[in-house]
Amino acid sequence: MLLYAVVPADATAPETRGIFGQRLETIRGALVTVLVEESFEPPRAASDESQAFAKIICDIAMTTPMLPIRFPTMLTTRSAVLAELQSNEPAWRRRLAELDGLSEVVIRAQWPEADRDLGPASDSSGTTYLVNRAAAIHRRDASVAEISELVRGWAREIKVLHSQQGVRIACLVANADIPQLRNAVMTWQQACNGSKVMVSGPWPAFSFVDQAVVSI
Amino acid sequence: MSDAAVEKWSDEQVALVDLIDRVIGGGVVITGDLVLGVAGVDLVYLGLRLVLAPAHEVEQSVPLGRRLA
Repeated sequence: MLLYAVVPADATAPETRGIFGQRLETIRGALVTVLVEESFEPPRAASDESQAFAKIICDIAMTTPMLPIRFPTMLTTRSAVLAELQSNEPAWRRRLAELDGLSEVVIRAQWPEADRDLGPASDSSGTTYLVNRAAAIHRRDASVAEISELVRGWAREIKVLHSQQGVRIACLVANADIPQLRNAVMTWQQACNGSKVMVSGPWPAFSFVDQAVVSI
Repeated sequence: MSDAAVEKWSDEQVALVDLIDRVIGGGVVITGDLVLGVAGVDLVYLGLRLVLAPAHEVEQSVPLGRRLA
């Protein structure tokens, strides 16, 4: 069966159907419930499946606090899910309570020279490449520090995500504070010469299900 | 999914990339057990961590000498 999310123990199964077209089912523990879809085949490794899964997760998040489960996670039996649930439910319930009313917002900042700084330097010396790379890493670190400071008033936690270009930072934000954070980031963008800044979300707190990675 | 060309994408496309990246790179990681058997006879027991992660995360976590070519 395909696992979708950890929700509070008293949550009802949503009307939503899963990516295989089946109704989502609940597997209940004493403290939390896991939403699953019966399936004997793993999902195909295609982007439309992950998009469908993402949409279902977002729909569920509209109705109840939840911890999304990484896609695609499958366990073979209900008892296997129950065993996993029972060994984790105190931590899951605690995190569910902590994340109630919070969402994830992702901030991207990119600058025009990011490609040149971090890309292969076929037409320059090794020294030039190292100098450019050091400058790019310095700029990346400075941007992370700047954005962290910028969102300090709203973000409960932040996590720096992998990015091939520029920086990407996930912020855990109260739903009511998201417009203010978005405005602050957009205002900051206008002061950044040539940088492009984008804000996506709000999403369920995919990056913050375990524990605080960086507390600010 | 590469974000190297994100600069040319629309906000909606960027949002979709971020969402899909988080769906497969974030979320609760479940541990599990798997027994491989033939004709009802258990042959191999594997303690599994059912981790699906973007390739860059796997690359970062696997020492260079142990990566497959």
